[in-house]
Amino acid sequence: MERKKPTANDGRRRFLAGLVATIQAAIGGTLVAVAGGAVVAPSFARRQGHWVAAGLLSDLPDDEPTPVTLSLERDDGPRQVVDRHVVFLVKTAEAEVRALSSTCSHLGCRVSWNPASFDLRCPCHGGGFDRTGAVKAGPPPAPLATHATKIEGDQVMVWL
Amino acid sequence: MALIDPRAALDWLDSRTGYRAGLSHLLDESLPPGVGWWFVTGSIMLFLLGAQAVTGVVLAMYYVPSPDHAYDSVRFIQDRLALGGIVRGLHVFGASFIVVAACLHMLRVVVFGSYKKPREATWITGVVLLLIILGFALTGYLLPWDQKAYWATTVTINIARSTPLAGEFVASLLRGGAELGALTLGRWYAAHVFLLPAAVAAFVFAHVYLMRRHGISGPVTAAAGEPRPFYPYQALKDSVAMAVVFAALLTLALTVPAPLDEVADPTDASYIPRPEWYFLSLFQLLKYFPGPLEPVATMVIPGAVVTGLLLLPFLDRGPERRPLRRLRVLAPVGTLGIAVAALTGLGLRDTPGPPDPAQWSLMAIGGRHLAQNEQCLSCHQTNGVSWPIERPRLRRDVDWAHLHLADPETIAPGVRPPPPGAMNRSSAEAILVYLRKRRANAPEPDTTRHVEVAARVYARHCGNCHVIDGDGFADGPELTHVGREHDAAWLRTWINDPYDLDPDAEMPAFGDRLDEEEMTAIVNYLAQRR
Repeated sequence: MERKKPTANDGRRRFLAGLVATIQAAIGGTLVAVAGGAVVAPSFARRQGHWVAAGLLSDLPDDEPTPVTLSLERDDGPRQVVDRHVVFLVKTAEAEVRALSSTCSHLGCRVSWNPASFDLRCPCHGGGFDRTGAVKAGPPPAPLATHATKIEGDQVMVWL
Repeated sequence: MALIDPRAALDWLDSRTGYRAGLSHLLDESLPPGVGWWFVTGSIMLFLLGAQAVTGVVLAMYYVPSPDHAYDSVRFIQDRLALGGIVRGLHVFGASFIVVAACLHMLRVVVFGSYKKPREATWITGVVLLLIILGFALTGYLLPWDQKAYWATTVTINIARSTPLAGEFVASLLRGGAELGALTLGRWYAAHVFLLPAAVAAFVFAHVYLMRRHGISGPVTAAAGEPRPFYPYQALKDSVAMAVVFAALLTLALTVPAPLDEVADPTDASYIPRPEWYFLSLFQLLKYFPGPLEPVATMVIPGAVVTGLLLLPFLDRGPERRPLRRLRVLAPVGTLGIAVAALTGLGLRDTPGPPDPAQWSLMAIGGRHLAQNEQCLSCHQTNGVSWPIERPRLRRDVDWAHLHLADPETIAPGVRPPPPGAMNRSSAEAILVYLRKRRANAPEPDTTRHVEVAARVYARHCGNCHVIDGDGFADGPELTHVGREHDAAWLRTWINDPYDLDPDAEMPAFGDRLDEEEMTAIVNYLAQRR
């Protein structure tokens, strides 16, 4: 098939079409950047950590996970809320405490201490963790998360 | 070698969807010669409506439609969300831009006689779109639940009460009950984000469909030349116009914070409600039709204008489109435009400037001092029994807050009366006024010690019976302009012991309750209130 010979008018038309596309892209891009920025901004907000008093060292039994509930204030968008976190404190030495998260590393269910089997057991899919947080049984792909701890006098502080 | 040839992929897509024919139908509309810049107003409207939809969706992600949370969620968007202030600015100022653009678009159609046969239905859908846009504006400004939102909506609903026969029912329907509150906010929010967008989409579709069905009206007198396709010739003009409008809107949103008053306070008698500028003409009209004549301003005149607009294509039926030959149409429309502009101008002249958040009343300054006392701070601290004093959102009603502030242990009001020596009502009010300032994110004022001491005295004592700038209790005379009537010497004598000047005075003596610094500060402050 014979192709039509380009004319000066075709060139002008292409130039104007390019101009229209450029202007529309600039308008749309700016609008999407501003609106999209406001949508994704909270996803990049960094969570602020705090040391929270978790109990007395002298109250903890040796090498046995003890659940404690810790409250932490935080901003939830326009609101302020108090989050409650359950962590397991394990006294591992005279002045050393490990704080294990109670959130199963599999799908986020809450684990609890089973004194009979001497492990932390997840009720959802049967995941099991030992006192160090290492996986003993079931599908969890990773150990329980740990929180930093420090001892101030007799007070156990946990970083949340 | 590319895995997928883009041209082949598009050919495939076209073979399955026919998108090229669709685009061609959309963009290759043949326009009569002479169509130019006058015809960009419709595209500007489409663009602005689209921008409102985009920014509206973002705002809806963060907005909470409940009186307890609405204000704080808007304050969060405005002050703390990254880019939130700009998005809100685009939406708030965009509303004004739409009203202006709609009027310009309509004016162009009227002057060019574009509503004439066969485009009557196109015109009618346009008038309906204007009403929907005004509905958007009306429902939108209640949503922030600030002072302006609350009071302007109160006025609007009271205007609706003047509807003949069904006034009370209409008002109750708008409020969702007998009082303005959570049910009102819920239904206005639903209208703003569900009903009106659906209506605007349907009518925009109908408007554009009818415009394409009958073709663009073109210049008033046929111009010489060949018809040209919409794309890219007119599309370029439309795009340039959109870019100019968007640049203006974005500049405004970047440089001027969208207004947000203090949180709605149904007990505030000092707030002067004013609607947005585009409703000011109606608001002003009310002043000329007092009492039983009010429905003339609220129903008869607006109803006649809307009816006239809807009937315009049927009243002006001749083929003549030249403006100078249609003065019997353009003269009344022009008169209407001038009347609306004049009424808006008069309304603006009577409108007090927006409250300046940087302006702290004496009561608020006094409240700031009172809120720092040890009794409050013993509970209100980080990780304390309650939130730090600056953070409570006062979700409870004012009566609860008064009781709690008067006797902090009264968590359940009415269980027992406040103990003797508890905070008085003026001090409690001062703390509430201060907390409202904090909630509005108002910058802390720099005050002299003289004003600080006067504020403390006023908040503790004077405010129990005297109003200054709308704060305080009105059992005694207002002191806002007391300096016009009394000088410092008289005020000192009076405050020290009113019986020295008037044996029948009801005010107690304060000479033994104020030290010299406090007496001097309050006397000098009041003497300066002119």
